[in-house]
Amino acid sequence: MSITNSPAQPERKGLASLLRLEPEKLRWLFPVALLIVLAVAFSLASPRFFQFNNQMIIAQQAVVLLVVALGLTFVIIAGSIDLSVGAIVALAALAAATTSATLGIWAIIPAGLVGLACGLLNGAVIAKGKVPSFVVTLGAMVVYRGVVLYFTRGAPISINDPGFLDLYAGRSLGVPHSAIIALVIAVIAYAILERTVFGREVRAVGGGEKVAKLTGIHIDRVKISMFALLGLLCGIAGLLQSARAMAATAQLGEGLELDVIAAVVVGGTPLTGGIGSIQGTVLGVLIITILSNGMNMSGVDPYFQSIVKGIVLILAVFITIDRKKIGIIK
Amino acid sequence: MQLAATAISKSFGSTKALQNVSIALEPGKVHALVGENGAGKSTLLKILAGSVSPDGGAMQIDGKAYAPRNLREAEQRGVAMVFQEIAINPLLSVAENIFIDRLRHFRRGLFIDTAALDKAAQAILDDFSADVSVKADITTLDLGKWKCIEIARALSYDPSMLFLDESTAFLNHKEVEVVLSAMKRLRDRGLAIGFVSHHLAEVRMVADTLTILKDGQWVGDFATSEITGDEIHNRMVGRDISGSIFPPKAQGTPSAPTLSMRDIALGHKLTLGQLDVGAGEIVGIAGLKGAGGESILEMIAGVVPPKAGAMRYLGKPHQPASPSDAWNVGIAYLPGDRAGEGLISEFSVLDNLIMAAPPRKGPLFDAPAARRIAGELMGRLKIKASSPDARCGSLSGGNLQKVLLGKCLSVNPRLLLLNNPTRGVDIGARHDIYRVVRQLAEQGLAIVLVSEDLPELIGMSDRIIVLRGGAVTYEFTPEEVVSEDQIIRHMA
Repeated sequence: MSITNSPAQPERKGLASLLRLEPEKLRWLFPVALLIVLAVAFSLASPRFFQFNNQMIIAQQAVVLLVVALGLTFVIIAGSIDLSVGAIVALAALAAATTSATLGIWAIIPAGLVGLACGLLNGAVIAKGKVPSFVVTLGAMVVYRGVVLYFTRGAPISINDPGFLDLYAGRSLGVPHSAIIALVIAVIAYAILERTVFGREVRAVGGGEKVAKLTGIHIDRVKISMFALLGLLCGIAGLLQSARAMAATAQLGEGLELDVIAAVVVGGTPLTGGIGSIQGTVLGVLIITILSNGMNMSGVDPYFQSIVKGIVLILAVFITIDRKKIGIIK
Repeated sequence: MQLAATAISKSFGSTKALQNVSIALEPGKVHALVGENGAGKSTLLKILAGSVSPDGGAMQIDGKAYAPRNLREAEQRGVAMVFQEIAINPLLSVAENIFIDRLRHFRRGLFIDTAALDKAAQAILDDFSADVSVKADITTLDLGKWKCIEIARALSYDPSMLFLDESTAFLNHKEVEVVLSAMKRLRDRGLAIGFVSHHLAEVRMVADTLTILKDGQWVGDFATSEITGDEIHNRMVGRDISGSIFPPKAQGTPSAPTLSMRDIALGHKLTLGQLDVGAGEIVGIAGLKGAGGESILEMIAGVVPPKAGAMRYLGKPHQPASPSDAWNVGIAYLPGDRAGEGLISEFSVLDNLIMAAPPRKGPLFDAPAARRIAGELMGRLKIKASSPDARCGSLSGGNLQKVLLGKCLSVNPRLLLLNNPTRGVDIGARHDIYRVVRQLAEQGLAIVLVSEDLPELIGMSDRIIVLRGGAVTYEFTPEEVVSEDQIIRHMA
């Protein structure tokens, strides 16, 4: 009998066996169930929670998280990680803020290019230098944040261009423009992951890098492309964040990487690679955002909120992780 | 010590792994379990050794009830098992590997008494004449020695009964001999031995009695001397496949070479003066592990570049910088390590089959075309899976190997590189794989076959070259009738 088909797999333990659910289904059901539970609980706790205006506030709060999380979904499915996303967002916000006075709405181009360049650099060092993504992006996080501090000297750069602010932070019929932009990006990201050959290659790299390489997939090209894609999305997220805050600050995006990773993982994309979905990430982002928003609305002690967030993250990993691969978690 | 198991049943989900199987083991006898992949052999061994609990049935040792809840309880009753998967920690010493779960027995104060530990380990190894020194660096030992260390670990519990699950599957010829002779010595000392192997030659060499299983059901018990190899095959598969399982070979000489290699130097010791592989020809490469066969395949496939020399493929220079360069020109590589290099087991059959050349419409993935291609390949290779979306992890070894071959075929290759294509594969699936490979040769593919399975190499190759320590020691002409002994003489 073959190694891979040993029928005597250990009995599945934990919640999965209690509910008699396959982990594949659970990976899907968990975020959906959690979202419903949160929505019900918070609407009971605070009548304002389900009002249109609060819903739009949630949408607005979710935007930056979502745009970055969409990009990070590719990276995590491919078995890598990026800790520098928050710093890239800050750097791109800085680019958008400094150019908004002259370029107006076209400040999206420098913001996008700065993000793309950061992502390309990360990807090139990881793929060509064969350095683990965790280490490279940990270093890059400090470097990019340092660049922001160097240029701003810690002082915020405000944005006054009305066209820029209206397009990226305004609302039409009460719906924030940024939410529409993020939704369009989500649809594109879904199409890339599910409908293109590149999306399949990303999955193959995460499922088994050596297998993918020996099957003729350009591992380096795939890795550089996905980090570049993530960088570009960080650029757009930085622009949206700067528009919402009407300024770029040195602290912008600090700690964002943890929220983004949490959103992707809660959405059912395990850090082990190979599996995951854009739909799940959208759910994960909503869960993380609603958790913050709802706890604020219900008046939960802000210091207590981080405890809840941390527990939700660990619970999500506990339920969705693929334990068959646990021996090779990186 | 006698072990009798009656009416054992076991299901995994909806799969009935064993149904009403009974078996008896006697001291001083080697008892083989034979059957195709998925017949239930390993499950039965694991139940006997306490690592899996049966759903139904009863077991007795010397007439007393025996229902071990885990390996430890089985060990206390004198039953030990060597698992199929290699379980050696290369960071530990030989002795530490043997006594891994009992290191505290060798404590002296706060520390471990290494001298006493080594002495105890060496005593066990010497006791069954394993040629392993506890002083050896475990990373320098070959797989056969590692299996001996695992056997020593099992023997360290001082069992009266030992089970070996495919302990020879990943070993080369020389290593297999080491393990088989260890089994014989243990039998002669009065141990009861149960073992599983896909190699009937091995079964015939060491087993006194055998049980044939098919689809989880008992087919029959036989004395090895009373049944022929063909009969065993037929009863395992349930249909008549007597005669050669190898299809007839190519006639006539191949035309222009598809691949030619000149004055190759590779790694730190491999040299190859000249080797051509013609269209329609299967060239076999024999040699012990590390002799260079696998390295040659990896060089052609673009995994490792040669240090010197030139390759020409279809008349043009062939200098692949990466495996993708090789796949792009129609060179398909089937690697030897199915789980680590060949397939992604949590992906579907379809995902794996079309991974090398996903059909596309522009940048988009053409899903309907992929389903069509996967369906064709599944039919052509007789891959038994519930659907193209079935997870590869749920397939048996033979079917996985067919998926791997299917992946190679999906690119319509001109040159096929096979590294041990039937490792851990049962006779029925072997039959299908051999048939397809020969058909491909007849269609004009050039094929290089590296295999540690000598009957396979002899049965499939039109021409065999033998490597030893990185150099060609002999090249058999197509006319020569090759025997295993001849190959062994040149490779060892």
